[in-house]
Amino acid sequence: MQEKRSMSLSAKRRAGNIASYVVLILISIIWIIPFVFLVLQSFRCESQGLTGYVMPQQWGINNYAYLFGWDMVNNCASNCNFLQWYLNTFIIAVCVAVGQTIMQIMMAYALSRFRFRLRKPLMNLMLILGMFPGFLTMIVLYQVLHTLGLTGDNAVPGLIIVSIASSGMGYYVVKGFLDTMPKSLDEAAMVDGATRFQVFYKVILPLCKPIIIYTVLTAFMGPWGDFIFARTIALGSQTGMNVATGLYSWLSAANISTHFTYFCAGGVIVAIPVIVLFLFLQKYYVEGVTGGAVKG
Amino acid sequence: MARVQLENVKKIYQGNVTAVHDFNLDIQDKEFVVFVGPSGCGKSTTLRMIAGLEDISEGTCKIDGEVVNDLQSKDRHISMVFQNYALYPHLTVFENMAFPLRLDKKIHYYPWTEEELRNIDNKIALLKQNETPKNKKKIAQLEQSKVDGRAVKGYSQDEIFQKVTEAAKVLGITQYLTRKPKALSGGQRQRVAIGRAMVKDCKVFLMDEPLSNLDAKLRNQMRSEIILLRKKINTTFVYVTHDQTEAMTLGDRIVVMRDGFIMQVGTPTQVFDMPDNLFVAQFIGAPMMNTFKTNLVNEGGKYHVEFFGAKIPVDGEKGEALKKKGIPSREILLGVRPEHINLSKDGGASSIPVTIEVNEMMGSEYHLHVRTEDETKIIVRIPTINLTQEERESMVNGNKVNLTFESKAMHFFDPISEINLLADGEPVASGK
Repeated sequence: MQEKRSMSLSAKRRAGNIASYVVLILISIIWIIPFVFLVLQSFRCESQGLTGYVMPQQWGINNYAYLFGWDMVNNCASNCNFLQWYLNTFIIAVCVAVGQTIMQIMMAYALSRFRFRLRKPLMNLMLILGMFPGFLTMIVLYQVLHTLGLTGDNAVPGLIIVSIASSGMGYYVVKGFLDTMPKSLDEAAMVDGATRFQVFYKVILPLCKPIIIYTVLTAFMGPWGDFIFARTIALGSQTGMNVATGLYSWLSAANISTHFTYFCAGGVIVAIPVIVLFLFLQKYYVEGVTGGAVKG
Repeated sequence: MARVQLENVKKIYQGNVTAVHDFNLDIQDKEFVVFVGPSGCGKSTTLRMIAGLEDISEGTCKIDGEVVNDLQSKDRHISMVFQNYALYPHLTVFENMAFPLRLDKKIHYYPWTEEELRNIDNKIALLKQNETPKNKKKIAQLEQSKVDGRAVKGYSQDEIFQKVTEAAKVLGITQYLTRKPKALSGGQRQRVAIGRAMVKDCKVFLMDEPLSNLDAKLRNQMRSEIILLRKKINTTFVYVTHDQTEAMTLGDRIVVMRDGFIMQVGTPTQVFDMPDNLFVAQFIGAPMMNTFKTNLVNEGGKYHVEFFGAKIPVDGEKGEALKKKGIPSREILLGVRPEHINLSKDGGASSIPVTIEVNEMMGSEYHLHVRTEDETKIIVRIPTINLTQEERESMVNGNKVNLTFESKAMHFFDPISEINLLADGEPVASGK
């Protein structure tokens, strides 16, 4: 009797597992199709427009060569601005990653460790401001940057300034991390003879490695995939465009029949640095550095 | 090495919460003072005010005669050991201990070698050949530097190595110098924390419950090590603990605190034998002192207490002291420590019959929780060494035994103010 019941239990569990797996596999397929499609199309050589099939009939790296400045079909330079857009995006993303990380960590340290008048109202204000979608500020920011001459061809420094200037608002995650770090570490360092700044860079900063990497990655990803803002500020300038805006211009009705596969190859190349970054840095997400600081 | 003076020190937090009231204490050079009291009594806050980790709301704190109220921690020449060790997790034990030395950029003076002195003399001789005002100034500088010694900013690598390894040797952590703190046990971590505080040339050594995170056995071991360490370091110590055993064993003087007030300052013997008030009497000593509301009777200069129908004479030193103070017959709160109550075999006139409710065998002694006929609870400590087998067997719950009280170890408190009737002078603070 008991055996019968246990068998029925295991059968039930198996049926449940099968159902879950089926659903999960279906979701995974739906999720992965665009990526597979993009990669496959990027290797298609027979035509550059949209087709009714997925698998390329002729495989090759023509599309990639085109992006990097060589038209393999006509055997001449490709007259393509992709590298300029890519470089723009890279410069913006690296500058923002560095600037934003410095700003956020310093901001978070101050809010985590110092007690000053209006600290709480300031935090609340930033929380409320952070709830507004960023693009609401677009028009005003465009006007400001336009006055400073940082739009169109000069969009790159404009975008860097805007991203770094607003970065302090994203202090929450870093502050949460710093709050878990015992205050007695700061106090011990101060008693040992450190100034506030020495406490920050000799004790706190080395312990912040996981959160610094997290901040760098998220700060890099923002401008790397930015579209709305970059498009507004660049205002159609080929030299001021970032890669997302540039690639999207190939999807216009006029360009899509001649540039679609280039768009796909561009998409793959855009993904590569992000994949590499994540592969190398993912372990730091979970690494706990503070072990041993206090009793445990 | 320095004297620490706290004068009318107050700590008032936001919202007008006073954590420390009017704290006055003069800690002598090389003295070991222990702040003891229950949680929230302000002992750690006071220590942190000395350390510069908390602002002093009112009053002054002086170290070596210098008012340090507005000095940062790093400029107070102090070392501190924290309850949770506060080791830097990203640094090795060596680097943890070297940390304060690496930060120290002050100018240190070292004696010249003979050769260096000769060189200076030669320079002076050369300059004296042409004594212009500029050269005279240089000569004066060189003469002064001969007296001062060789000036060096901060510590050299060799010195850091020497200081750290010496401290590590004293603390027995030489073999762990290359490890990170997370690879150490609690006791080893605490040693590193003490080592880090030791390597620095400090005037005052502050310790904030350094043994609280250790297990009981390790705590006993570290306690004796701190006593030995104190002899080696020979500086002024301020130690905070909630453990009265630590306070009694470590301190030259104990400061018993409650609700931000000092309840008594005294040597361990003074605090134990002559507590100023009921709080100190009950806080120091384990198990806690028994108290009974009763009457002290003065019959022509001879005192006795009425106790569960028995008359217990108060003679000897205590009787004399009562007489000297001219204390009349009155209601009192009688305090008797559990170790000053004895078992009585014969059940004489001054003995009190009680029933054992709980008996705790502690190894070297019994802790008996007994109840008198009028339902008063008493705790008694009976050393096992003098007990016969028969007496040991009688220590069972529900059994009746007779107790006698040693009058010389009785304490008399005012039932309302809870102040010891025999305490000298005015109490430091009532705490009420």
